[in-house]
Amino acid sequence: MSGMERRLIRDNSFDITSKLFRISWIYVLLLSALAGVGYVALYSAAGGAPDPYAARHMFRFAVGLVLMLSIAMIDIRFIQKMSWLAWLGGVVLLVLVLKMGNVGKGAQRWIELGGMQWQPSELMKLCLVLGLASWFHRASWEKMGNPLFLIPPLIAVAIPVGLILKQPNLGTAVITAVVGGTVFLGAGLRWWKVALAAGGVVGGAPIAYSHLRDYQRARIDTFLNPESDPLGAGYNIIQSKIALGSGGIWGKGYLQGTQGHLNFLPEKQTDFIFTMLAEEFGLVGSLAVLGLLACIILGGMLIALRCRHQYGRLVALGISMNFFMYVFVNIAMVMGAIPVGGVPLPLVSHGGSAMIMVMIGMGVLMSVHVHRDVEFDERQRDL
Amino acid sequence: MTGPSRGTSAPNPSSVAHRFGAAPADAVPRTEHVRVTAPDLDRRAGMERTRGRIVLVAGGFALLFTAVVGKLVDATVINPVKPRIEVQARKPDPQPAPAQPGMQATPATAAIVPPPSATDFGPRVKRAAITDRNGEPLALSLPYADLYANPQIVYDVDEVVAKLRGVLPKLDAANLKRQLTQQDKQFVYLARRITTREQLQINALGIPGIDFEFAENRRYPLGTVAAQVLGGVDIDGNGQAGAEKFFDERLRTDRAALRLSIDVRVQAVVRDELSKSMAAFNAIGGTGIVMDVRTGEMLAMVSLPDYDANQFRRATDEQRFNRAISGRYEPGSTFKLQTAAMALDSGAATLWSSWDASSPIHYGRFTISDFEGKKRALSFPEFLAYSSNIAAAKVALAVGPERQRSWHQRMGMMAPVPIELPETFKTLTPPVANWKDIATMTIGFGHGISVTPLHVVRATAAIANSGILVRPTILARDPDAAPPQGERIMTQQTSDTMRRLMRLIVSDGFGKSAEVPGYFIGGKTGTAEKSGRGGYKKKANIQAFTSVFPMQAPRYAVYFMLDEAKANASTFGYATAGWVAAPGAGRVVARIGPMLGLLPETTNAPAIAQSLAIPLVPGRPPGAAPAASPPAARPATPPAPRPQAGQPPANPAPAVAPRPAPPPQPRDPRQEAAPAPAPGGTVVAVR
Repeated sequence: MSGMERRLIRDNSFDITSKLFRISWIYVLLLSALAGVGYVALYSAAGGAPDPYAARHMFRFAVGLVLMLSIAMIDIRFIQKMSWLAWLGGVVLLVLVLKMGNVGKGAQRWIELGGMQWQPSELMKLCLVLGLASWFHRASWEKMGNPLFLIPPLIAVAIPVGLILKQPNLGTAVITAVVGGTVFLGAGLRWWKVALAAGGVVGGAPIAYSHLRDYQRARIDTFLNPESDPLGAGYNIIQSKIALGSGGIWGKGYLQGTQGHLNFLPEKQTDFIFTMLAEEFGLVGSLAVLGLLACIILGGMLIALRCRHQYGRLVALGISMNFFMYVFVNIAMVMGAIPVGGVPLPLVSHGGSAMIMVMIGMGVLMSVHVHRDVEFDERQRDL
Repeated sequence: MTGPSRGTSAPNPSSVAHRFGAAPADAVPRTEHVRVTAPDLDRRAGMERTRGRIVLVAGGFALLFTAVVGKLVDATVINPVKPRIEVQARKPDPQPAPAQPGMQATPATAAIVPPPSATDFGPRVKRAAITDRNGEPLALSLPYADLYANPQIVYDVDEVVAKLRGVLPKLDAANLKRQLTQQDKQFVYLARRITTREQLQINALGIPGIDFEFAENRRYPLGTVAAQVLGGVDIDGNGQAGAEKFFDERLRTDRAALRLSIDVRVQAVVRDELSKSMAAFNAIGGTGIVMDVRTGEMLAMVSLPDYDANQFRRATDEQRFNRAISGRYEPGSTFKLQTAAMALDSGAATLWSSWDASSPIHYGRFTISDFEGKKRALSFPEFLAYSSNIAAAKVALAVGPERQRSWHQRMGMMAPVPIELPETFKTLTPPVANWKDIATMTIGFGHGISVTPLHVVRATAAIANSGILVRPTILARDPDAAPPQGERIMTQQTSDTMRRLMRLIVSDGFGKSAEVPGYFIGGKTGTAEKSGRGGYKKKANIQAFTSVFPMQAPRYAVYFMLDEAKANASTFGYATAGWVAAPGAGRVVARIGPMLGLLPETTNAPAIAQSLAIPLVPGRPPGAAPAASPPAARPATPPAPRPQAGQPPANPAPAVAPRPAPPPQPRDPRQEAAPAPAPGGTVVAVR
């Protein structure tokens, strides 16, 4: 009975208009601001022209925004019901890409669709978060202590991670595992198990290193000592560091960055876009961009906290973690703090499919926020 | 950051003053009777726990963000990395380089500062080092030692084993003990190739019966960089391939470092772009060459697949194969530049000639047709811009077998390229007896003849370099010495016209994808089917782009070739050179230009573009020889008088697509090197 009443109070006008009112428009504004930063940077990367990067970037963002707002209208309970189906779809796509994907740069990662190249591993991360959140969403403290209860979700992480490793794409596999692990953590995994997993990673790293492919090992070696191979794999990082250094506090000024414009800096429109910003706008400009990124990530965490159901919390946590991993890995990479790994800066780097994927994730996040107070079915069973 | 929560006006009346993530109890109107069930409590406890964990993760984010900010401050302000290159005052070039008025001052006219003792690496080694043009070491002999023992002198084996393993922990104790107790021997190697430091440490132990043997080891510190050019040595230090073999005697006798013309930076860029293109198009190999068109110095010579030069003896034949000088390929359409130049130079055709390319040529059992043909009459510039095989065959026929053969002879196509590497190969050309009409026609578009990529580069460079063929070299030239004398193959006028035609191919023709603003690249694409057993393989192509930049004052030839590149989505299913090879060449130019001190021309771009412009369909000057009618087997008209070939029209008929003339540019004295605009400004810019 009470469930009935509460639902009546809460779902009083759950039509499209009221849903639109529930969207966090400030968050949408933050995302748009970040895309604007992308436009400014890509305009410069093209040597001061909207073509070929910046104009397309804005067009894609517009498409992504519509997509995001549409997804935000979908009831989170429906998304929850579809979670495992999404997980299965992601795994099927990963298998497909291994079987028939395009080989690029020595790995099978891409599927061609709609004139764009899609990395199913990007979608997989979102699907994995949905699946895990769905599994944990009714888990009690006792259940979380039961190792048997933890085995299915562990398998749900292991399958996609294994498939991504097979491509091979070490970076994305690690990120996928970390994002999955965060959902475990959020669901209330016992601390000693967390410690055990962390210890396993630290202990297992040297063994893993010996099984890496040559180019992956070269990346790690280059990271440990970029100057050892100044013309090969270390070239990007050194040029990137020079660009950062030449920017200084205030930067060289918009469109004045020599490292970028004279083509010393490779991949400046994709992976190294942050370097380009840092060279032209200096420390101050890059701190401003970092601040914007931090606001978006913290915003995602606040959405998680504000949500009144476990499923939404875990989903929001996982999606924020995924976004954070993009940002952190990309920026740490261009500063030479972690090995180079081809991770774009979300909503800033040039690249259509990555932006659409990020915006799909943001759509689910927004759906969590719009449906933050909904009740899941379990109450009906109480009656 | 409170945006997401405050950003909406939630209809829920009680959501105003609650803690983020607090248990949902207070969200319910307080007056309502709530039945709290056990699972409900359990759920709330779980939510509460998750709340703590989320805050914890957020804290972790904050921590990592702080670390990133710290690192950023360090990289930008506290410890900025300075470029390894330094601004170097350039000597004024004898031939003024493209003028750069008003360009921003950048460290682009830079060179790696040579190490202080670029000529002497290590006092004890015998074999001389090899460096690149800036003194960067490419091959070095390092001293090392072999450790040996006389077991008859060694006593207290256990102590010796312990001491030696203290310095060389890699040694196996049991094995060492076994070696040292062989009382019947007086000499046993304990370790090969130990470092000088290890040698000093063992020496300091003062163990009787332990001694060292001096040896040296050839190392290539840059690994794959220029591996095939350098070649390698055998275990005894004898040159086995590449420069190591060609200069073996010199490296043994003169301890001064051998300075090659290779620039490791350029070499690395070419290799980088080539390997990227190979991966993108699934090619089985590729080669890239950058040559100074005036001096013949090779700045880069890359052949893929390659190998780590330190692993020379383990490299496969495929990896050691230097496609740039050993690979013999049919040059394909890149040879149309030669056909065009010889036609202009001999007077067999003029700029105003045109050819019927509307239908394929049938000659005996051969059929010559066009790729994406225009199916109409083509002007001379169009024949090159659209790479018509039919027109090329007709132009070649107009030149005739004798003149064509003698041209290629003078261009060096009949002999191995004279370069200081042992792996050069003889080319494959038809014997004189077979060099008849059909051979002439196919050679006109680069089939029926096999030459190495370097042949093509050298001949392309000659066309751009005022018609003078230079001898390619891998040795750095003294910039103060007199420039090497080359052989003049064609007139300056022919070269001038050809430069504009080469530019036209990139600005308006099949080479468009090589365009880099400000560098005025000119070049020619070439897609040749690979010949296999029993004819040509339709699906296996050689895709090449031969180019020179900047076209107003040519400095460097850039060649970019892929072996069996396959189409992908970005090329819309085409695997032709214009799609797969030309973009790579463009990216190479964009990256090496600044390294070589050439900045993209922006201020004078319109003036230069105009000076290089040539209409696709030039108007015919009055009084000039009538356009060569499509020749059936021989030129129907006698060759036009030689001086007229390639000359700009004195008073041409209006061009086909006239545009308003650009505003007059202030004349810059430094622009003298650029080709003079056509008299009277009659050439209409087509772009």
